Amino acid sequence: MFILKNAWISIKRNKGRNILIGIIILIIACACTITLAIKNTAVDLIDSYKNAYDKEVTISFNRENMMKDFDPSQEESRENAKEKFDSIASYTISDVESFADSNYVKSYYYTYGVGLNGNNIEKAEIESNNDMSNGFGHRKEENMSSTDFTLTGYSSLDAMSEFINGTYTMSDITDNAWDIAFNGNYVFINQELANYNNLNLNDKIKLEDEDGNTYEFEIIGIFKENEEGNQEPMSMFSNSVNTIVTNASAVTGITKSNENLKSTINPTFIIDSYDNVEKLQNEFYEKGLDKNFVLQTNGKEATSGVSSIENINSFATTFLSLTLIIGGIVLFVINMINIRERKYEIGVLRTIGISKLKLTMQFVSELVIVSLVALILGAGIGAVSSKGVSNSLLANEINNSNERTEETFKNFGGPNMNFENHDHEGTKNEMRGKGMPVVQAYDSIDAVVDIKVLLELLGIGLSLVLVSSIASMVSIQRFSPLTILKERS
Amino acid sequence: MANKKMNNYVSEEKEIKNNNETKEKNNIILSIKNASYRYSDAEENDYALRNVNFDFESGKIYAIKGRSGTGKTTLLSLISGLERCTEGEIIFDGKSLKDINLDKYRNSDIGIVFQSYNLLPFMTASENIILSMDANGLKVKNKKEKAIELMEKVGLKEIYADRKVLRLSGGEQQRVAIARSLSYNPKMIIADEPTGNLDKQTETEILDIFKKLAHEENKCVIIVTHSQNVCDTVDVIYDLKKVKKESDK
Repeated sequence: MFILKNAWISIKRNKGRNILIGIIILIIACACTITLAIKNTAVDLIDSYKNAYDKEVTISFNRENMMKDFDPSQEESRENAKEKFDSIASYTISDVESFADSNYVKSYYYTYGVGLNGNNIEKAEIESNNDMSNGFGHRKEENMSSTDFTLTGYSSLDAMSEFINGTYTMSDITDNAWDIAFNGNYVFINQELANYNNLNLNDKIKLEDEDGNTYEFEIIGIFKENEEGNQEPMSMFSNSVNTIVTNASAVTGITKSNENLKSTINPTFIIDSYDNVEKLQNEFYEKGLDKNFVLQTNGKEATSGVSSIENINSFATTFLSLTLIIGGIVLFVINMINIRERKYEIGVLRTIGISKLKLTMQFVSELVIVSLVALILGAGIGAVSSKGVSNSLLANEINNSNERTEETFKNFGGPNMNFENHDHEGTKNEMRGKGMPVVQAYDSIDAVVDIKVLLELLGIGLSLVLVSSIASMVSIQRFSPLTILKERS
Repeated sequence: MANKKMNNYVSEEKEIKNNNETKEKNNIILSIKNASYRYSDAEENDYALRNVNFDFESGKIYAIKGRSGTGKTTLLSLISGLERCTEGEIIFDGKSLKDINLDKYRNSDIGIVFQSYNLLPFMTASENIILSMDANGLKVKNKKEKAIELMEKVGLKEIYADRKVLRLSGGEQQRVAIARSLSYNPKMIIADEPTGNLDKQTETEILDIFKKLAHEENKCVIIVTHSQNVCDTVDVIYDLKKVKKESDK
């Protein structure tokens, strides 16, 4: 108590110096609050951005391995490469299920494709006598080149990467489409194919396999492919014109009923950490995956968009460090001067029997009292200013974040569609409930100065006070009261 | 008048004005036994004080005199626990100063009065006295009242209590310093040239205070001094001689 009483008397006595110390700490506190708020918000944005991307692993050909020793100019080498390619063992749905049964895999989804011909619809195609360069060309043939249509079944909403990344966008959709899309023979077709065959929502289409088995589907949505998705510059139709989108169980039903059908499966595994990819790959090999396949991650994609926010984050860190270093030095110097000026006082207090520890505590208490007042004021001013500063610095990132959310939502037929009895947020939540990958958005950064920032500020402030008090601590330990009083005499 | 040689080099008991040794030997409050002091940066045999042997008794007033450089202030700093003996020891109330907490010793057992008063100038007279009570941890209901009582005991009126010490005269400041040293009722008062900055009249008044403290309140008062007036007032004088270096012998 007596220490605090003496500290308070000293603060009142040395008003000028303490106001100066207070102003310096206030400026430091202000700067720290703003930079900590920016840092925390930036980190939140980075996390939000990275979380928008699941940590995904896909299976792809090990092209590097395949191309090893390949010399296209030599016939023999080409033959060997073909043989090697043909010998690669593909994997089935049950293989994928087995791969997914791993401690490293959180969840998985897949697309399952099969080639079918039209029964009551026609393939969208315009034959041309000219070659590719003369205008209307035919679409590039893919895996199912011998059939009219590619029926692509998605195992879940997460698997619908073309809709998530904006290659496809819903242009028309039934009210209950997302309730039934993954449970039965329902399809989404390309708008161009719908126009070509004069098809509308709720119309039924029939497809047949090469053995003449027919399969009926109901149209519950029509999508269009965006310009960027069209890779054929001279094509009248988009790439996906003859792609019919359904669910994976519908495709499974077809392949089970006719085991001769050729199908392709593209699984995506969601993992906990990119660090485990190699272990997972070895596990897949042990479970029978051909060694000409390798696992690939979306790690680069997930971090590519955050560089500008990371720059702001690193700028904030540098600014914070500089503020603390300069502030710390100034406070240290002021404390040194303070101690020299109060040498006599120290001598007297030591002579009348006040211990070094109590004296040190008194000097530190003085600084802590002044600092706490300055820190509270600085945090208040910083809190008021930080919102504006953060929002202005991170304005672009906030917009981008919002746009990503809205765009993803739109691709699945969100706000542009007439969802009766659903408000905008309600629909969004409903789609999130179905596993829709909706990115977290920031309208503005309101809660920048939270309890975390305040605790960090308090920690930084008190550390700064203690570091700058080292001058007084050391001096009090070193000063001999007798010498001080002799000097005074 | 006794003239007793205390040791070969350093000090000797010059005179005992109030000689009653047999009775008062039992009253020894402080004993200096073969105390030597050498500054940390001094050469091995360069002692500021060498083999000092003095006894101090309660109820007596002592003067330690000597010419400049004889180690008077050094001896005072050893007695007051501001420095420790390089060799030998000092026994206070049966305990060696080596074994006790010197901060506690300074704020409970002894009171120190300096020539230059060593009061805190930004405080009032009473605040200086109260600060000393606080350092001691004294539990008094009304510390200011107690401070005023102490001031009156040393001849200062109540009106001085709230005055900043810089507004007081030298004599008044020294009275405040004495009052401060009495605030926790120590057994021993150590004063370093307490009247060095004061006129004759004030010196006599201050010495009267010390005499009262020794003879009426049974305190041991040790005064380091040059002043003949002080030497004439005290019960015992210890005269410090300059330390002879080995090479001087």
